[in-house]
Amino acid sequence: MKSILVVEDEPNIVLSLQFLMKKAGFEVRVANDGEEALALVQDRAPDLILLDVMIPKRDGFDVCQTIRANPDWKDVYIILLTAKGREVDREKGIALGANDYVTKPFSTRDLTEKVKQILSGG
Amino acid sequence: MGPRITLILVFSSIALATVAAVIAGTWLVAQGMPGASDETTSFLIAYGGGTAGVLLALIAVCWAYLDIAVVRPLLALGEGIDTVLHANPEHEIEVDEHQLGGLPRAVNDLIRHLAIAKKNVDDNVRRATQTIEDEKNKLSTILRELHEGVIVCNTSHRILLYNKRSLEILHVSGTIGLDRSLFDLMSRQPILHAIERLNNYLASGRYAGGSDRASVPFVGATIDSRFMLEGRLGLIIDADGAPAGYVLSFQDDTDELAALGLRDRLLRESTEGLRAPVANLRAAAEILSSAPELSSLEQTEFKKVLLKESKHLCDRLETLASQYRAIVTSHWPTSDLFSANLFQTIRGRVKEQRGIDVVIVGIPQWLHGDSYSLVELLNRLVLRLRAHTGVPTFDLEAVAGDKHVYVDIIWHGAPIAASDLHGWLEDTVEEMLGGLTLRDVLDRHKTDAWSLTGVDGRARLRIPLPTAQHMTVVQEQRNLPPRPEFYDFDLLRRTPDLGELGQRSLRSLNFVVFDTETTGLAPSAGDEVISLAGIRVVNGRILTGESFDRLVDPGRSIPPESIRFHGITDDDVKDKPPIQIVLPQFRRFVGDAVLVAHNAAFDLKFLKMREAESGTSFDMPVLDTLLLSAFLHDQAQKHSLDAVAQRFGIPIQGRHRALGDSLITAGVFLKMIELLEARGVTTLDQAIQAGQSVMKKRAWKPQF
Repeated sequence: MKSILVVEDEPNIVLSLQFLMKKAGFEVRVANDGEEALALVQDRAPDLILLDVMIPKRDGFDVCQTIRANPDWKDVYIILLTAKGREVDREKGIALGANDYVTKPFSTRDLTEKVKQILSGG
Repeated sequence: MGPRITLILVFSSIALATVAAVIAGTWLVAQGMPGASDETTSFLIAYGGGTAGVLLALIAVCWAYLDIAVVRPLLALGEGIDTVLHANPEHEIEVDEHQLGGLPRAVNDLIRHLAIAKKNVDDNVRRATQTIEDEKNKLSTILRELHEGVIVCNTSHRILLYNKRSLEILHVSGTIGLDRSLFDLMSRQPILHAIERLNNYLASGRYAGGSDRASVPFVGATIDSRFMLEGRLGLIIDADGAPAGYVLSFQDDTDELAALGLRDRLLRESTEGLRAPVANLRAAAEILSSAPELSSLEQTEFKKVLLKESKHLCDRLETLASQYRAIVTSHWPTSDLFSANLFQTIRGRVKEQRGIDVVIVGIPQWLHGDSYSLVELLNRLVLRLRAHTGVPTFDLEAVAGDKHVYVDIIWHGAPIAASDLHGWLEDTVEEMLGGLTLRDVLDRHKTDAWSLTGVDGRARLRIPLPTAQHMTVVQEQRNLPPRPEFYDFDLLRRTPDLGELGQRSLRSLNFVVFDTETTGLAPSAGDEVISLAGIRVVNGRILTGESFDRLVDPGRSIPPESIRFHGITDDDVKDKPPIQIVLPQFRRFVGDAVLVAHNAAFDLKFLKMREAESGTSFDMPVLDTLLLSAFLHDQAQKHSLDAVAQRFGIPIQGRHRALGDSLITAGVFLKMIELLEARGVTTLDQAIQAGQSVMKKRAWKPQF
């Protein structure tokens, strides 16, 4: 079973994301801040991370950069979720190693489709 | 009647009267002696005649004396004064043999004093005029340089004075005719209202005169209502305390007011406009969660509301966010900046502050931003990087991207963790920016910063900045035909054994990429170098700070047809040194570097022609980017610098200036090194051979 790590500190959206991803047939783990996220990745690398940028302790850019610095985790697919919608924010995310960048608010259906496609293709 | 005639008449009258008196006296005596002998009569006649003669003679002498000694000198004096007054103020009046005593001397003294007094007056007037002229120049400079428009009017609103900026702001082409009514240009009511307010102020007696300002702000518009104006109106008060006119200073506030309006609207919409959809959502959600008795059909209806309204909210938010981004930073004073100037400031600062060496590399770019806050930002980031990494030297480079110019700080080592960098960005710049953080400076430029790994173990701290808004590209120059290609085996084919140098990798070598501008295309037929420039390339970096750039006096006139290429005129090179002086300077700049040029044979030929007389020698190896381009892209038709630069994605700016072309060539050359390596060409020897293989293949003939 493909595994997904949801890194979010907003319980309301975690609820939805967790529900959707489980329904789509993936194993879902949840981290509430950057440090917890890195600990979970260290524990067992997921296939895909839904990573919010604005999280406590170590922010999403930081987590992204740290994961990319480890060659063992080069295949982990990272989707940044963020309320920052500028072109330059997207560029920064991609520059620091994210594979995709999704601006909030987003369509849950589109996101689910995207994740399914990535994990079935990989 | 002249004085001399008068004198003659007076003396003639005296003579006549004297003669008449003598004749009458003699006749009376003769009458008193009847029967006097003829002798007596004769004696009497002789006596009378003699007396009359003697008296006449005496009168004549008196006249003559008066005429010569008094009247003529007086006349001469008069003429002299006339000369002094009307012709020559320096004239010294001379009067011969006169009996006027001290009069002529006194008159001359008087004239001298007069002359001195007049000269003093003239000097004072000249000085005063000069001062006024200076003041006038200062005033017109101030008016010209003011960012505001300034118009001075009299009380009938006729324009007395204006600056050029006011024409731009009012969008008037040409000139404003003086004595024209202000209300031909600006809306009337705001001006009249401002004047009325000021008049009331004067009438109230609160105006103190002197430095007290009698001015009020006003918001007006151009007469066609297309542009909003904001500024101040100040009364000019004369010595009696009455208004003599007024001064308007103003600027175009159309954009600012529009942005303010937009911001107001956004605020209103984001509060009022969002209430309705949120109310719908809330009502539906509350009913769904608290009314278990709902039928499934009813539930579906409420769910539809939830879906529809949340979708509606998302769209609404998206619109608001994009509008907000557009205005949030529109108020900062920004301008087009040349990266090299920005970097020089930072280099100077960090050297002074911490002895940190900064090397400016790459092709300078035009970008857009606020110079002051960007300097603070980069300055502090370099200091932070120095403390964090311990690296003593940093490169600064501006890299052209599709949408941004990337300002990169580069160092040997690992990139900076986002968490560290984000911490640094919370640093405040207290001194002058009112406690703004570095993050605020980034936000002000609608950007962010991150650190990434580069090639050769170099890391970068990258800040994307907006590209310049008004890049000065001379369109005509873009379309100029390229120089014909030159090949000369004698110049480029010579392959003395380069020994160890030839074995070295291209990346490790020192290069000087150079270019010349010339009076024409025929060095053998009298064409000369008028500009010579070079830029150093070391370890795969263009050292922007290490450039050579000189104008050269060609010792001949510059043909107009060549001026359209390089824009250099006879005047530009008038006081410049000749090639015999510049060439040895350039030779020293090159040192032991390898030369690189586009169409190198052409430029090299010019240098070689002057070797003997300047006591220089250019025997070092030379690489030609034109030949290398043909080697790398043998299918491509065009190998002009423009075409090659475009192929390699090097932005074209400063084209057809020796230094600009050198920079572009250097940018092209660095890209070529990567491609050459991919083709197995890694050493200098191999690169020279690659060029020669092309020369042999391509049709060539010496053209000069």
